[in-house]
Amino acid sequence: MIKFNINDTEVEVESGSTVLEAARQYGFDIPTLCHHEAVAPSGACRLCMVELKDGDWSKLVASCIYPVAEGINIYTETERIQNVRKWLFEMLLAKCPASTEIKEMASKYGVNVTRFPVENPDEECMLCGLCTRVCEEIVGLSAISLVDRGVYKKVGSPFAQPTDICVACGCCVTICPTGAMRSRIEAVRRTPAVTLTPLAL
Amino acid sequence: MNAIPKIGVFLCECGEKIKPLVDLPALEKNLASESDIECCETLPYPCLAPGLNHIISKVREKKLNRLVVAGCEGRLILKKFETALEPEGFEKGQIDVINLRGHVAAVSDISAEKKAEKGAKLIKAAVAEMGALIPSISAKISIDNPPIIVGGGVASFAAAMELSRQGIDSLLSLAETDTELILNNLYKYFPGERQNYGRLEKLIKEVKDSPHVEIIPRGDLVDFSGITGNYTVSFAVPEETGTLKYKAGAVIACLDGELSTPGPESGYDGTTILCQTDFEEIICTGENPKGQTVFWLNDYETGQEESVHLSARSAWVMGKHIIQNSPKAKVIILYNEQMPLPLSTFERAEARKLGLQWIPYDKSVQPVLQSGYISFGSINDHLEHELPWDRIVLSPARKIDKKALEVAKVLGFAHGENNFFDPHHARVPPEMVGREEVSFAGSARCSCNLETALSQGKKAGKKNAELLKKAKDGQLFSPRFVSVVDPDKCVGCGQCQELCDCNAISVIEGEDSGVLPRVVDPMVCTGGGTCVAACPYQAITLQNSTTQQRETRVISLAKQMDDDEFIAFACSWSGLPAADNAGIRGLKYDHKNHILGVRCLGLIDPSVMAMAFLKGTPGLLLVGCVPEDCHHSFGVDHTWSRVNLMKKLFSLSGFNRQRIALAHADLNNSEEFVRTVENFSKVLANLGPIEKTPENQARLQSIYRLVKYNSRIRLLLSSGLRRPWETTYKGEQQYALAYDRDDFSEALKEEFLKARLEEIFIAEKRPFSTAELADILSEASVREQLDELATEGIISLSYQEGRPFYKSIN
Repeated sequence: MIKFNINDTEVEVESGSTVLEAARQYGFDIPTLCHHEAVAPSGACRLCMVELKDGDWSKLVASCIYPVAEGINIYTETERIQNVRKWLFEMLLAKCPASTEIKEMASKYGVNVTRFPVENPDEECMLCGLCTRVCEEIVGLSAISLVDRGVYKKVGSPFAQPTDICVACGCCVTICPTGAMRSRIEAVRRTPAVTLTPLAL
Repeated sequence: MNAIPKIGVFLCECGEKIKPLVDLPALEKNLASESDIECCETLPYPCLAPGLNHIISKVREKKLNRLVVAGCEGRLILKKFETALEPEGFEKGQIDVINLRGHVAAVSDISAEKKAEKGAKLIKAAVAEMGALIPSISAKISIDNPPIIVGGGVASFAAAMELSRQGIDSLLSLAETDTELILNNLYKYFPGERQNYGRLEKLIKEVKDSPHVEIIPRGDLVDFSGITGNYTVSFAVPEETGTLKYKAGAVIACLDGELSTPGPESGYDGTTILCQTDFEEIICTGENPKGQTVFWLNDYETGQEESVHLSARSAWVMGKHIIQNSPKAKVIILYNEQMPLPLSTFERAEARKLGLQWIPYDKSVQPVLQSGYISFGSINDHLEHELPWDRIVLSPARKIDKKALEVAKVLGFAHGENNFFDPHHARVPPEMVGREEVSFAGSARCSCNLETALSQGKKAGKKNAELLKKAKDGQLFSPRFVSVVDPDKCVGCGQCQELCDCNAISVIEGEDSGVLPRVVDPMVCTGGGTCVAACPYQAITLQNSTTQQRETRVISLAKQMDDDEFIAFACSWSGLPAADNAGIRGLKYDHKNHILGVRCLGLIDPSVMAMAFLKGTPGLLLVGCVPEDCHHSFGVDHTWSRVNLMKKLFSLSGFNRQRIALAHADLNNSEEFVRTVENFSKVLANLGPIEKTPENQARLQSIYRLVKYNSRIRLLLSSGLRRPWETTYKGEQQYALAYDRDDFSEALKEEFLKARLEEIFIAEKRPFSTAELADILSEASVREQLDELATEGIISLSYQEGRPFYKSIN
């Protein structure tokens, strides 16, 4: 068992746990987007940043991948963290302006506008890779992956073609934190031969 | 350890997602009073490391062997629990996850207390199912026979080589064993690949010299049966009756697609307008064509654009060959602008150096062949240009060879609408199915060149080598959820074999006693389970997810429900994801439903449906895939027929047919799912509950008895399983409507009356007169049914004052 402090409260968890797991166990609120309990953490969205203080100095760490250590002091709501979080939300709002999930979360933390230029007002995906991780780790396939590099990076199937590898289980849609996979899965799964027409009321 | 169920329930607070919405302390208290539940606890996050560690310590302390976790989507999170608890002896099926967040907390506006009650119902039902689970013993698969390579395609050699290099003995069946003849005939399948023949020759030699490969002389493949590890493959013996049988552990099929010459409508004449295969034959004879040869890559025009690059490569190799051997010859390759040039930079330079021209043409203007000239639209200036020719070489038509078709038919491959085979590819995650039934390689699978065909063969060999090694080390296990046939109950009617979409069911070979029980190949079964619900004699069970378990679950749920609540089954490919996604998105809908997830709707036995009504649900909704999209091929269609059976029985009993309904959903369309549930809710609200009068109960009891035990009806039902809109049956059966009206409905009427009579005799042990029985059931005559029951030995006949009286025997 490892003892350390979160917001000056002493907590105790098994070694090998992450700071986020410890914080969740003891009910400290840390926002996350790219973290899902079902798959291994990847530290992609950085929203779970916490401040690790040691005497005079401090550093910011991504709590979802930072392993706990004896005696560290973690703070989840310092001014520095709040500032970073605000910047992150603003960047996310600029990157994925179409995602209602991100908007709701940002406004919960008091961020409603972004100062960054919006490049694509229809973008929902923030490229956290949860969908590709669930496909690989839970479903056991790799029907989708992050294709292309740098600013062109996106989620898709090989050659952007509907693929037979996809079994249309919908795990990626369920796990997607921004709702982006809802439109993207249609380009990945083999289109059903017959589609449902909306019900007339 | 697993014999007596010890069930632990863990509730998840899930941060702000469940805790404020559901009254968890009340829920915990409610569950803790249950005698079936060994321990019940609420944890902040059972799925994170501290929570998992706590669960493990509880499992050890209380010796738990079943778990129910109420949290989020089981589709995502279940695997984490299974992995974490595997060292504690938990296997798949021993943990269940209830989506408290997505099916209860997030989707309605009722109070936290009400949500706790709804959650309790779902959890108690899951606990009841867990109690009825009898975990199967993991079946170790052994493969003692060698793999066999059939089909005779060129990929056979690569497969045999790979197996032999890994030190595995194999059987190789070849139509032609002479190396020279094999190579000389190869141009028919792979034109313009002569540069690779040297390497292939070495490969063939290696295979022939290998002590691990036994080449079997063969006729045509005539039969193929058995299960993984124990296949029987029979070949016809040429010029003899009877067959040669081989035992094989695994099957690799290597089939080559055929190239044929284009039809006369293209201008093909075999002398000046040629096909690539003819042209190669000419070059082989050593003749060097003079004059101008134009290769027209007309694959786009003939509708096989996927193979244009193969034609282009062949044209390039042959063109190069001509120019290098006769300096006066001219070669032009004319190609559709849509084709990316399949040449490396070096090859482009080489083409320029040799003077071999590649000319692209406008895709919107089709080239026209006329005597001596071919006209085409230029992409540079949109002018129509002309090329003089002495010889036109067209692309070959690629399709499956007749022989290959026959072999594929024996092996049970689906032949789709295109020209190539579509090996059965179950749309399920890899962990749900043990292996592909037959490994398949060669150009009959997709149009490919020699190299790809060989690498496919090598891959097939590798896959099978892995499988065999695993089996040898005792590490090969079948998936947990597969169908198993009880050979004592199986009468060999063969319904299951006809229905099975994974080709997993075959006849047990052996003494031909007339009745041959079936056997399921556990490595091929995908666990769709429609065979289970279709078996007239209930001889098949789906391991770890039995009909018994589902009945127990609906009994528990229906007993707890209020009068206006109903049960909904949702399949794990459409209904359940749609419901989960509705929860994720916070869509609100009526709370009166209780959603139960199943792998496929096809595994829901009519007895489960009947049981739900018997125990008090006013309605039953079954949400599955859109028929064409069913992941187990026909599961949802078969459910249609079973729902139809229930509707007919409702009509006979005077209940409203609308109480049971099949619905279709799409995982990505939760709004429509929500409307489906709401609309069904409205229908039921109008109908109200089924009154719990003794007459109604007797009727429902009769329905249950009929659909569960009446093998005549079950047989009629399963032999009528088809797609609902099909009008004729396969084989010798009648038209669908006639079958339904004349055979099925009539039989159902008779048998239902019998079931109702039986019910009366069970309820009261006194003797009844014929008139009295007819009066109770408001039927004109029940004499016939009574006689049948008497012959079956269920009731006895006695006379009092000259009038016949019937009485239950037991």
